[in-house]
Amino acid sequence: MIESSSIPRRTFLKGLGTALALPLLDAMLPRLGFPGNGLTGTAFSAVTGGAAKAAPNRLAFLYVPNGIHMEAWTPSAVGADFELPPTLAALKPLKDQLLVLSGLTQDKARPNGDGPGDHARAAAAFLTGVQPLKTHGANIRAGISIDQIVAEKTGMWTMLPSLELGCDRGMVSGDCDSGYSCAYSANISWKTESLPMAKEINPRVVFERLFSSGSKGEAEESRLRRERYRRSILDFVLDDAARLKKKLGSTDRRKLDEYLGAVREIEGRIERAERSQDEPQAPMQGVAKPDGTPKDYQEHIRLLCDLLVLAFQADITRVSTFMLANEGSNRSYPFAGVPEGHHDLSHHGGKPEKQERIQKINHFHVTQLEYFLKKLQSIKEGDGTLLDNSMIIFGSGISDGNRHNHDELPVLLAGKGGGTIETGRHVRYPRDTPLNNLYLSLLVRMEVQAEKLGDSTGRLPQLFTQPRLF
Amino acid sequence: MRTTVVLFSTVILLLESEAALLADGPPKAPSFEGDVAPFLAKHCTGCHGPEKKKADLALDVYTDSSSALKDQQVWEKVSKKLRAREMPPKGRPQPQVADVEAVLFWIDSAIFHLSPERKDPGRVTLRRLNRAEYDNTVRDLLGVDFKPAEDFPADEVGYGFDNIGDVLSLPPMLMDHYLVAAEKIAEEVIVTGKPSGGELPEAHRRIVICEPTESTQKDCARQILERLAARAYRRPAAPEEVDRLVSFVLVALQSGDSFEKGIQLALEAILVSPHFLFRVEVDPEPFRSDASHPLGDFELASRLSYFLWSSMPDDALFEAARRGDLRKAEVLEAEARRMLKDPKSKALVENFAGQWLGTRKLKMVSPDPGRFPAFDEELRSAMARETELFFEAVLKEDRSVLDFIDADFTFLNEKLARHYGISGVEGKELRRVTFNASSERGGVLTSGTVLTITSNPTRTSPVKRGKWVLEQILGAPPPPPPAGVKELSEEESAVSSGTLRERMEKHRADPNCATCHARMDPIGFAFENFDAVGGWRDRDGQFPIDPSGLLPEGESFSGVKGLKAILKGRKAEFCRALTEKMLTYALGRGMEPYDRPAVDRIVRALLEGGARFSTLILEIVKSDPFQMRRGERGTTS
Repeated sequence: MIESSSIPRRTFLKGLGTALALPLLDAMLPRLGFPGNGLTGTAFSAVTGGAAKAAPNRLAFLYVPNGIHMEAWTPSAVGADFELPPTLAALKPLKDQLLVLSGLTQDKARPNGDGPGDHARAAAAFLTGVQPLKTHGANIRAGISIDQIVAEKTGMWTMLPSLELGCDRGMVSGDCDSGYSCAYSANISWKTESLPMAKEINPRVVFERLFSSGSKGEAEESRLRRERYRRSILDFVLDDAARLKKKLGSTDRRKLDEYLGAVREIEGRIERAERSQDEPQAPMQGVAKPDGTPKDYQEHIRLLCDLLVLAFQADITRVSTFMLANEGSNRSYPFAGVPEGHHDLSHHGGKPEKQERIQKINHFHVTQLEYFLKKLQSIKEGDGTLLDNSMIIFGSGISDGNRHNHDELPVLLAGKGGGTIETGRHVRYPRDTPLNNLYLSLLVRMEVQAEKLGDSTGRLPQLFTQPRLF
Repeated sequence: MRTTVVLFSTVILLLESEAALLADGPPKAPSFEGDVAPFLAKHCTGCHGPEKKKADLALDVYTDSSSALKDQQVWEKVSKKLRAREMPPKGRPQPQVADVEAVLFWIDSAIFHLSPERKDPGRVTLRRLNRAEYDNTVRDLLGVDFKPAEDFPADEVGYGFDNIGDVLSLPPMLMDHYLVAAEKIAEEVIVTGKPSGGELPEAHRRIVICEPTESTQKDCARQILERLAARAYRRPAAPEEVDRLVSFVLVALQSGDSFEKGIQLALEAILVSPHFLFRVEVDPEPFRSDASHPLGDFELASRLSYFLWSSMPDDALFEAARRGDLRKAEVLEAEARRMLKDPKSKALVENFAGQWLGTRKLKMVSPDPGRFPAFDEELRSAMARETELFFEAVLKEDRSVLDFIDADFTFLNEKLARHYGISGVEGKELRRVTFNASSERGGVLTSGTVLTITSNPTRTSPVKRGKWVLEQILGAPPPPPPAGVKELSEEESAVSSGTLRERMEKHRADPNCATCHARMDPIGFAFENFDAVGGWRDRDGQFPIDPSGLLPEGESFSGVKGLKAILKGRKAEFCRALTEKMLTYALGRGMEPYDRPAVDRIVRALLEGGARFSTLILEIVKSDPFQMRRGERGTTS
């Protein structure tokens, strides 16, 4: 069984990051088969013309704050024959894997009567296409984000429905941006309109989350007993919560519903793990547990990228969001030659020396993207690579940090979506094309049928040059 | 100075009239037609009317009470501006105090239905324990100091604090953390096999209080778990709850595990139960918003302990709740005083002061090492420690809260003293240092912490500093900049075109920015002698520093000492700001219009009682919003 699996072991080991070259531990690869990918499998063969593959699509969103210096980002030519501008130059070896999408707009990040607060809105609307409610206290409200809509579906087949990553913890003071709650600037993933999905910051904890089940060659009998105990504890607390809920008012009930939802998700995960017990499991030799959160920012990002690649490769999850920094972040980048705070700089007032420094920060982030994409590309999956079966979106909810505009957003799509995306091009869309149209097109590639998402007006054309299934 | 006096006397007047209102109400109730409409026409609609509509506000659209009732937020804003004497602006004809009073009274009664008979204590949404509370509660429940919450995601922040029920959420990932932590804790605390060395750890012995025999297993389990659950849930456990916990012991025994394994599982279950993870307060009538009621004794005990300790009640507090006399004024006061003296009250320093005074934020800032080589980790932690020790001194010595604005002492070690330009302090330990009379330092405003967190990485930001003072000290945060306005020149780099002040004054010529910046900037410039990490400087680059300023209220000052004197003169405003923040923290919810009578009462007591720190705490603890709650509108479906 192991020989016939779609993840060759040697590649698997090669895929581990240099940053992970730490003492080795045993962990278990939860599953080697790919359940549930009915549509993608056949669709693959339809569009690629190759043999049917079992690999599902993976979807990740990498977010950078404060916009981008667009002059050094947007290619001047459209189509397949375009030059990579300076900020994207680091991606040159991956040019044929990229689709630069210009002209997309996230209208719900605009004030629309709500006044200032573009940073908070940019993050909160980025994956939702819903205008967040302006509040810095109670009643936070945004929309359900695309990753969570996908997770709702693909989560049936993977251990973790989704994985939320970031380098900045939540904010430390209440009003993060002109009267908007910090929850808006610190999260792009929203499970419900009032429940942001907190990010995991610490690589060690991410590791533990990914590889917690069935560790260290535990005896079958004791493992089963442990699971039985765990289930009886979950039953107990569900019972507690149900009884308590009856005594509470409506707002309190909503809070308790978050609790109930979380416990049920974990119950479901245990059930899925039990079902997959019969499936082949390979010991994942060589996955080292990180020590904690590196002080070095680049190392931090790369370690999280390594873990995300592992999670995709082992099909622990198919959906992820990763905020390289919180929106409005004033982090300084001295190692990239920028001692000033990012947010302060982004209000460049048109000064070339400031724009140059913003470009340095952009370049730094794009270089981390290159690391991540190369890593995905280095992993063979079927006839192609993990990157071929991925859709990685890199972008920001703000275009120019000085103007705080939310049209002409920097958006980059990498990976071929299982052969459903024709990369190696720069596409320009008409002014004010909703960013959510792109998401609607991604949804179908993740096997989610939807006609509308947030403020979408239809699927985004031209992800493929020929008229296709998608 | 004249303005200060007037301002202060109006505050007193307002407070006095509040007392009068509480007693019998005014001779005749003000009406919209008779009092409010003429007032608006005379003082407001010139700017906030059909023509100018300043601040996007038009007050001419309100023609009667019922049209006004639809826009509670507008009237809350009007009320705030009138009370703070910010409107009508200086330079315009000022209304009679009695006329302002009449409008305020009308807003309170007609719009917010506030009256002496209809007290509204509000309600707090079910609060999840935040990270600090989780760690402390585990520590006090089990007697072991794990800090398991270190790995938990950051708690959401609302109204400036991370203990706000409405805002704290529970995503599935956090539930994962809770389960993992519970398992680790239970396995650490309860020993299931033979103890190494024969002696069981104290934490284990404190929980496993009986030794079961074949026939007493169930009784012993009951005894253990009834006690454990009662402490973990911060209230007596119902017999049925204990039964369900005891069943874990039976499950373990049936699976061939030990009795202790069963206790371990029950503990694990307790630690992920909603009764442990949330601070549950139950209303007898959850769906009636007009039915307020006193909290239960155990609920009140938890409010006290989480306010002052960020943790569960201790045995003495539980005992007071059990006796049912915690609500007696003298018992409550004695408990609160005892708890403030307890070392656990350092939680108030870490969690309240940590957020109010920014020591938590200090951990996140990154001043440019090229420009500020003095700012290293040692200095950063000395600054944070200084702020904590200073707050602790005000708390422990029960000093006046006005010390926060200015004081003649602080806590320094050699490194920080050098940074401040003070000699004669040696070694790494921070100790109490008295400033000499000429020193510009003293109070939180001139602390390294506040000066650093209100700066940019490369330079000072008078705007941020001014905003901080308005927000945290005067409780009058400026509104965010209007949409579409270019960000302020605080973003301009220190170029040689002129001093920061000159460049900002130029920028401020924009009338859209002028009103608010006239409030923020002069305050911020008073601190210009302190660089972006709080060190003293006489020049900013090539330019000499001018720390003088003129406030829109007409007071002028020549530097930070002068500014502090003015702020001390505005003690009513400061006490109100601090009260609102402390009450927000104590309750775990934001302030609402209906909280104003309670806040007024606390502020009055504070002003009458020498502004002692303990007065603030005790008055909060005695207040209706702290002691009571009500249901909310809604249906059971």
